[in-house]
Amino acid sequence: MASRVMVALRVKASPGRAFEAFTAEIGQWWKPNPLFAFTPRAPGVLSFEGTERLIETRDGGKVFEIGRIQVWEPGVRLVVDWRQATFTPGMATQVEVTFEAVGDETRVTVTHTGWDSVPKAHAAKHGFPDTAFLARHGEWWRTLLGSLRAHLG
Amino acid sequence: MAEKRALSSAVVYRDPAAALKWLEAAFSFETTLLIEDADGNLAHAQMAWGDSLVMVGSEWTAEHKSPASIDGLMTQTVHIQLADGDGTVDAHCERARQAGAVIVAEPDMQFYGDRTYRCKDPEGHIWTVSQTLLQIAPDQWDTGDMGLKATIYKA
Repeated sequence: MASRVMVALRVKASPGRAFEAFTAEIGQWWKPNPLFAFTPRAPGVLSFEGTERLIETRDGGKVFEIGRIQVWEPGVRLVVDWRQATFTPGMATQVEVTFEAVGDETRVTVTHTGWDSVPKAHAAKHGFPDTAFLARHGEWWRTLLGSLRAHLG
Repeated sequence: MAEKRALSSAVVYRDPAAALKWLEAAFSFETTLLIEDADGNLAHAQMAWGDSLVMVGSEWTAEHKSPASIDGLMTQTVHIQLADGDGTVDAHCERARQAGAVIVAEPDMQFYGDRTYRCKDPEGHIWTVSQTLLQIAPDQWDTGDMGLKATIYKA
């Protein structure tokens, strides 16, 4: 077994539209959180580069690769690797996003796994006990999905 | 959607992961937050029902017990209020029964205008489910020979 953070909510959109907003428009609803910064520098803007990778582009144009896209099924499922700049080889997390029609809404579910690969003493965990770290991370994902929902109107 | 609310219940289970599945099957609750630790144990979970939420957790201290661990006793129950668009109490009851709920009180009309039923989940928590079918002012309640008197205190 391994640790897992799962957050889900409904958005008022079709699965296809929700997927499009999550991917093509991520730069519009994403909100950086200093606790979970990808790089030690000021946060940039997130975007999906084709169906290849998720990147963060800083003001000066420098690009950080957050992760490669492993699954790209528009309107259904997205799986992307997820790492911070301070991760060393062997540290890897992964984010799965699923889109499920519920009536005229879509249930968007984010499942973030792999945080066990990052040692408790690593800077990315800020000294939090594991479950507290995961709970904070879950709250951040909920904030993010709330922002996505607001973006979809 | 269920964000953090001013007031919400945290319900304790010996097997909270099973409870999440059961509450979804029986009551249509939707898991909105789930934290599992490195051993795969459920650390925290929240489920949404309408604009409310209920937290589902384990027996995480010696003072948090499921009814299944204390001879079926409990000190609180959770009440589910169905809105007009949520289907009927009777259909809700049948779905819960199919999921394995023990129906403690079958659906019945109450003197205050609600139709309600009461059931126990697999660990023995009692849930009440209610829907207002008749709008009856408290001074019109048909309390029959119950000897009840309704008093409304204005806030």
